[in-house]
Amino acid sequence: MAEQKKTVKFIIERQDSPTSNPYTQEFEIPYRPALNVVASLMEIQKNPVTTDGKKVAPVVWECNCLEKVCGACMMVINGRARQACCTLIDDLEQPIRLQPARTFPVIRDLLIDRSVMFESLKRVQAWVEVDGSWEVKDAPIQNPYTATTAYEISHCMTCGCCLEACPNVGPQSDFIGASPSVQAYLFNLHPLGKFDKEKRLEALMGKGGITSCGNSQNCVEVCPKNIKLTTYLAQLNRDVNKQALKNIFNK
Amino acid sequence: MINVSFYLRRLHSLCGLVMLGGVLIEHLLTNASAMGGEAAFNQGLAMMELIPPPIFFAIEICFYAVPLLFHGIYGMYIANQAKNNPTEYGYSRNWKFALQRWTAWYLVVFLIWHVGYLRIYTKGIMGEHISYALVQSTLANPVVFGLYALGMFAAIFHFCNGITTFCMTWGITKGPRSQCVVDKMAMGLCALMCLFTLAFMSSYFIH
Repeated sequence: MAEQKKTVKFIIERQDSPTSNPYTQEFEIPYRPALNVVASLMEIQKNPVTTDGKKVAPVVWECNCLEKVCGACMMVINGRARQACCTLIDDLEQPIRLQPARTFPVIRDLLIDRSVMFESLKRVQAWVEVDGSWEVKDAPIQNPYTATTAYEISHCMTCGCCLEACPNVGPQSDFIGASPSVQAYLFNLHPLGKFDKEKRLEALMGKGGITSCGNSQNCVEVCPKNIKLTTYLAQLNRDVNKQALKNIFNK
Repeated sequence: MINVSFYLRRLHSLCGLVMLGGVLIEHLLTNASAMGGEAAFNQGLAMMELIPPPIFFAIEICFYAVPLLFHGIYGMYIANQAKNNPTEYGYSRNWKFALQRWTAWYLVVFLIWHVGYLRIYTKGIMGEHISYALVQSTLANPVVFGLYALGMFAAIFHFCNGITTFCMTWGITKGPRSQCVVDKMAMGLCALMCLFTLAFMSSYFIH
């Protein structure tokens, strides 16, 4: 049998600066078993030459943990928002198309600015106000079943897959998206965090809050951490409706 | 803190399901009498005309025009906030999300034509009475028949899918199983209502 070297083809959407026009370039790298997208991009970085032999600037992207925990390497791979570190080449159809997640501002190539999610987390007060600490025996107790739910939601790594896949998040809309909304629920479950429940619900009732959700449910389909986002969004819908009744009748 | 957009959104949801759902069902039932033939249909219309005109007009404004205008205008604002992507993310709910908006745009055009021609021009300006013969002659044009059938299907889908999303928005169905059950029931209802519509629309040419 004729020995033919297996290769992997990439079509990468590139952009030189936040304001310049995007263009595509093709790259081909040697195949090896268990290759993933981040490793492929590293391979391209070693020798940034396109398939037609042109030497170009290396492709820019972002990654940290390389084990689906940090969320930094989120990009659009074959039309779908995913983590580049845990997307195996063997599971993809070739040529593999890489694009930046354009729901966020593009800085360069596949590198995006996800700080809008941090702003949203601040808006919904996604933290617990702590005033001192307790010995373990004195600390307020947490229902273990609630803790299981909280543990699931705490896996959220603010990667932004749910925002990229959501048709209602983007420059055309002010919706903050599933991830920051559901973080509000996480902190509402906390024994101390729930003291600020009303504040978080009020933030979600504001413009671009949970009311902008259009129930396309793409978020739950693409979440790399399998968080039951739509379930918690529905729970938040219940909570904000109750809060609205309180606002109307208790004041 | 008054969250205007929150209350508008919830009002939009409530208005669509309850008020406009009512309008749709009233239209289906009234028009279904055409299946009983010319006499039955015209008799139904004559019954409606027993309502004194000022009261009838007030009903038209409060239960038809105002909800329709509010839901339509605010709905266009909502639809413009979406960038439909069912080709990239081809999940059933995402297709329905896009269809909800596409049917909405068709209904805006269709309802301007339907209300503008039948209610405002024919009945209001020309003073003609809506009758079996009038509807029959209107629907005799195959293009008009097609556009009307499409308008009815669009309205029915928009209403039925609206039941599913209403249950999510109001936090009635929380988990995926209950959401899926409501979705299937709503789509079943959608199919039934479409077949029913086709039946009474075709009945004009069978009698």
